[in-house]
Amino acid sequence: MKLLIVEDEPLLNQSMTEFLKGQGYLCESVSDLQAAIEKTELFDYDCIILDLMLPGGSGLKLLHELKRNNKTDGVVILTAKDSLDDKIEGFRLGADDYITKPFHLAELNMRVAAVIRRKGFHGESVVKIGSISIDTLGQSVTVHQQPLELTQKEYQLLLFFSVNRNRVLSKSAIAQHLWGDDMDLAVSPDVIYTHIKNLRKKIEAAGGEDVIRSLYRQGYKMQDV
Amino acid sequence: MKLFTRYSRINITATICVFVLGSIAFYFVLQYVLLRQLNETLRSEQQEISGYISLHDTLPEFENTRHQWVTLQPTPLTSYKRSIRSVLSFNPDEHEDEWIRELTFLATAGRRNYLVTVHKSEAETDDLLKLIIGVTMGMIAVILLVNFIINRRLVGRLLKPFYQTIDAIRNYQLASRAPLGLPAQRIDELNLLNESFNQMAQRIQSDYHELKTFTENASHEMQTPLSVIRAKAESLAQSSANSEQQMKEIGDIEDATNKLSRLHQSLLLLTKINNHQFHTNERSDLSGILRKKIREWEDIPGVSITTDIADNVSPFMHPHLAEILVGNLLNNAIRHTPTGGAICVSLSGKSLVISNTAGGGALDADRVFGRFYKKEPGSEGTGLGLAIVKDVCQVSGCSALYSFRDHTHIFSIIFTGEV
Repeated sequence: MKLLIVEDEPLLNQSMTEFLKGQGYLCESVSDLQAAIEKTELFDYDCIILDLMLPGGSGLKLLHELKRNNKTDGVVILTAKDSLDDKIEGFRLGADDYITKPFHLAELNMRVAAVIRRKGFHGESVVKIGSISIDTLGQSVTVHQQPLELTQKEYQLLLFFSVNRNRVLSKSAIAQHLWGDDMDLAVSPDVIYTHIKNLRKKIEAAGGEDVIRSLYRQGYKMQDV
Repeated sequence: MKLFTRYSRINITATICVFVLGSIAFYFVLQYVLLRQLNETLRSEQQEISGYISLHDTLPEFENTRHQWVTLQPTPLTSYKRSIRSVLSFNPDEHEDEWIRELTFLATAGRRNYLVTVHKSEAETDDLLKLIIGVTMGMIAVILLVNFIINRRLVGRLLKPFYQTIDAIRNYQLASRAPLGLPAQRIDELNLLNESFNQMAQRIQSDYHELKTFTENASHEMQTPLSVIRAKAESLAQSSANSEQQMKEIGDIEDATNKLSRLHQSLLLLTKINNHQFHTNERSDLSGILRKKIREWEDIPGVSITTDIADNVSPFMHPHLAEILVGNLLNNAIRHTPTGGAICVSLSGKSLVISNTAGGGALDADRVFGRFYKKEPGSEGTGLGLAIVKDVCQVSGCSALYSFRDHTHIFSIIFTGEV
């Protein structure tokens, strides 16, 4: 799967590229608007990660270009928290999702995966971890083909882990994914612990593999089976 | 006290003092002059009598009138020094005591010596004195009154541009970008005042816009380096070669980054609210927002949430601000509720009340909505959540209240107007 990363800050661009490469994506990165437009004219991407504040103009111009050329590349826009208008304008121009800076790489990964799944280029709407399979369209989970009842938060948690397999997820990344930017402060680590404990119990009871590890002081990690 | 009142008070007091002292001096001078004139009259009478005697060697016939009469008294004295004095005596014609001026001299007629006394009533002089003093007093009163009226009118007119300047300053909106534009004045002092105000407004304007641009730029530009820090910390955390100490330090970096990011966003939000960058002329569906937010929190272990939410409560509030208001209040309640505690949310057409079981005692009601108010130092919050709540209320025309009852913190948002 091919991604294009459009971000002018070299360090952030580099971090995102390395991280997403590590996730098995084919990544290309550019740092200004003109280069991005040229790239999109030449190639098709599964998902474009687009910063809106770029040298050479607003990233929204790229969205215009894509629309004009009838391209269906998925787009996740990166915005500063307060630019509400940019966000709305971005959606109007066909962006698929947005993420506010500063973001967790795991969260970015989640959004990119969701956009790619939604676009359905690769028909992968089901995510599998051993005997556990998550149907992202029906938002249901089965273990050994038996349905598993999960709460909304547990479902989100499982999907978040499965997309970010083999990565340590910090508590703040998990909290922000589950409750959003504004609310995560309210959550004590105990709450996350309780949710994860419940999730593990349910999976275990259904005969699934216990794939979520708790790492002292670091967070949690889902391992491949 | 108004400038004119103060001015009049000093002016009138000084004028009255001068006039009173002047009147007293005037009275004595006038009295002295009139008395001298009286003496002159008496002396010329004496000369007339003396002249008659030296011519005829006999006393003349005296024509006594009500105001002037002569009395004779034979005397053995051969010499007498002429004397003038005032005596109080009864005037039978006037039926009252009055001051009489008497001049007594020695006259020799037909080889007999007489003490001749010319009397003249001072009543006339007194009357004149009274009249003059009366007229003077009347004039003083008239002068004072006229002075007062003229001053009042004049000062009122002179100060009119001054009040116009005050009005212009009072109605001036910094955010409107328009210059203050006070007009030039004919009076130098007022002109100077207006010019200075214009210059000051210009300086404040440019400072204000510079600051605003700075906050706007900062809001965008700071997020990227923060993203870099967070991404790098996350990458570091993935390495399995980290020692426990290193993991802890990476965790600390992440926490600090989160806090900095949130602090930054909160301060920017406060600045934007106070700059009136959110319009409050639209309604937001508070019932819907509240239900959505509460759903997010339904499965928090150890805390029970009870709700009583009326339908279709939509006060005038920017929807984004309404979401922040509800989020901050709920966030606060959840964070500070001890395990096993309860949160109660009720929304009606009049108010939104969110209460939670307290872990400790009451908070300082005066400072709880202030910036960076924290009961326990080092707690996770930014200390700006409730300050934002207060400012959102302020721009939306609501009021935020805190009270403490039965070990429960109660935060109420009172709506004003139709909701």
